[in-house]
Amino acid sequence: MTTSLTAEPLEAPPAPKRPRRISPVLLVCAVYIALTIYGCWWIGVSLEAVIAGAADIGRLVERMFPPTFGNPLEVARMLLETLLIAVAGTAIAAVLSVPLGAAASDRFTGPRVVQWLARAVIMVTRAIPSLVFALILVRVFGLGPTAGGLAIALHSVGMIGKMFADAFEEQDPLAADAVEAAGARRAQTFIATTLTRAMPRMAAIVLYRLDINVRASAVLGIVGAGGIGVALQTAIGTLNYRYAAGIIIVIVALLLVLEGVSVLVQRRLAEHAHEGDVAMLFSPGRNAWTPGWTRRRVIRAITVWGLIAVVAWSLWVIAPDPDRALRSLESTWRLLIGMFPPAFSPAVFAGLWESFLMAITATTFGVVIGLILAILSTDLVVRVPVVSTILRVVVVLVRGVPDLVWALLFVAALGLGPFPGFLALTISSTALAAKFFTDSLQNLDPLPMRALESAGAGRLQVFVAGVWPQFMPSFVGNGMFTSDLALRESAVLGVVGAGGIGFLLQESTRTLHYETTSAIVLGLLVIVLALEVGARWIRRAIL
Amino acid sequence: MVVTTHEDGAPRVERGAPAPAAARIRFEHVDKSFHDKQVLHDISFTASAGEFIALVGPSGAGKSTLLRLINGMHKPTSGSITVLDTSPADCSRRELQRLRARVGFIFQQFGLVGRVTALENVLMGALSRLRAPRYGIISYPRALRERAVEMLDRVGLADQRFQRCDTLSGGQQQRVAIARTLMQNAAIVLADEPVASLDPTASVDVLEMLRRLSQEDGFTVVCSLHQVDLALSHSDRIVAVREGRIILDQPTAETTGNDIHSVYRRASESAE
Repeated sequence: MTTSLTAEPLEAPPAPKRPRRISPVLLVCAVYIALTIYGCWWIGVSLEAVIAGAADIGRLVERMFPPTFGNPLEVARMLLETLLIAVAGTAIAAVLSVPLGAAASDRFTGPRVVQWLARAVIMVTRAIPSLVFALILVRVFGLGPTAGGLAIALHSVGMIGKMFADAFEEQDPLAADAVEAAGARRAQTFIATTLTRAMPRMAAIVLYRLDINVRASAVLGIVGAGGIGVALQTAIGTLNYRYAAGIIIVIVALLLVLEGVSVLVQRRLAEHAHEGDVAMLFSPGRNAWTPGWTRRRVIRAITVWGLIAVVAWSLWVIAPDPDRALRSLESTWRLLIGMFPPAFSPAVFAGLWESFLMAITATTFGVVIGLILAILSTDLVVRVPVVSTILRVVVVLVRGVPDLVWALLFVAALGLGPFPGFLALTISSTALAAKFFTDSLQNLDPLPMRALESAGAGRLQVFVAGVWPQFMPSFVGNGMFTSDLALRESAVLGVVGAGGIGFLLQESTRTLHYETTSAIVLGLLVIVLALEVGARWIRRAIL
Repeated sequence: MVVTTHEDGAPRVERGAPAPAAARIRFEHVDKSFHDKQVLHDISFTASAGEFIALVGPSGAGKSTLLRLINGMHKPTSGSITVLDTSPADCSRRELQRLRARVGFIFQQFGLVGRVTALENVLMGALSRLRAPRYGIISYPRALRERAVEMLDRVGLADQRFQRCDTLSGGQQQRVAIARTLMQNAAIVLADEPVASLDPTASVDVLEMLRRLSQEDGFTVVCSLHQVDLALSHSDRIVAVREGRIILDQPTAETTGNDIHSVYRRASESAE
């Protein structure tokens, strides 16, 4: 059959009329810009305020130098407690997340109501920041690491549970079908097949979460929930800024070292996920049916028992004394009874609104500055290796300082109010967005860019035509994720007087007005979930 | 055997000989539908102890559904199924687990946990005899471990017992799956295209092994196959399914390659 290309008339068929639609990306940008303009007015952000603030911050920094480190043994003890709180919280969350993730996964074959409940627990615990849990739990267990460890466990269970559920769903169901077809019970099948296969992925998830949790436990002390944060709060409260600077340096150093270790271990775990190169897992043992000891098995056994010992130690550190544990039952009951009915007052709405505005305004600034930093850190538009290296180091260092520490410093320099909170959130959002954007810019497909370059396009043209269309979905997705995180943070900055709902939240728990606490938590839950639903809608619309 | 037609024109098999009394599997006028689509029509057949039945027929004919009805992974829409004197459709979850413990199932893609040893995969066949979940070889009782090594030896893989399963060849992995079935002490073994992913030599090895083990242990095998020559050389009886109906059911000795090929030919003709 031959086809003539010229025989056909060249008239194009009439294009189908498409309904006029507003681009979802433009819509989101418009909403963010409108809220940011309003937020700047609400918070009192202006160029003069920033310049005046910079001078105040400069004076504070002067008072912080040279840093002092106090009693090294005491600092080491507090660092260890910080680490153990994070380990205990992560371990409790990891253990609870196994049944929770299994029940929440699509593969769950049990009663629907169990699956629904598991998903609800995951959703709620993910939405409430660990510091909010800590504020409430300090009332139940008193000051100290018990509240901290449990707060970390409660918040982490949502995220680990969700990621475990995803890991279980990723596994090919055939092995589970085969073992179930051999008459095994549901739990036996799950442990022998799905859990066994998901193990390397689960280890990576727990390690990733441990890294985040150490960051969280470093500041839990600010609300009295144990760890090195207590010392930081005391140092700033007593105007001992040189000691505060020393503690901040220690915290940042610890977090950077841990991040490095975490990256290394995760890389090794990822390699182990495809450990097909080691065919024989055990050497022949003393009889045919007992596995023998290889070097690998010895290392694995030492690691596992070592981990169990560390977890046991951490649990012992956060365990309340028996008397306190008994009393905590009564306090928990009082707390739960006190929470109903939630009391929504104008102050609650105003606080939530302020937290929301702080988060959105800071995200807008953070995303714009973060994008510029990311572009400068990669060699897509500007190719000055020294600049990109310096920027990356700065971003890593800035990310090393927890948001609440920034807020503490800005409150010390500028006084109480949402402005220092906004500055803290802007700094952390900038560092976070810069990291996300740099990573995704580096992972773009280089072929379209090379094709444009070889066609003679300039760097800016290559960026606009070759980079931006590929990068845009990740820009919007990561931008919204940054605001999601900023919102959770902005809800707690008030505990150091940096604006938002945190102040009222802390006051409500201190004065035993639990009905206000529950109203705040519910309000926070609604805002966080609404933002998540919005982000999901946008992601679906642009992908 | 006489082939007549249904009222709707579909072929129907009338069997001359009555079913043996000791039938391990009995289907009586079984229909199966998924949503509105009927995939099996009026299926009646029996399988007795020690019999090796080759289930042949084009893809989508309903062979896998028929096998899954036997171990209760699917329930019939109508008709009755009796497996080892139990009706899988009427079983509680626990009763179904007990029945499945005696009915082995071999899958085309093996269904093994790749990152653990062959021995641990074989041990999973014994889970129905244990109450609690198990993780790792040494969590299983010693007697079961001993037996699992014995089963691996029977399929010629005792030396590979501590080898990661995903580093074994396809034929070896299917042998591990067979050893897992042997651990069950099964009275019936269902095999859903067990050699479809294997090369010709491994296919012959696996089927010969299944045949030998069935003769040694006396378990019934119902094995779906696409390879006509393998079906003719390894089975006692051929059951052909097309468009959800049994259109041929006779001893292998009385069946020729042409009989089976005609099942596939008629399927491709009707598809055209």
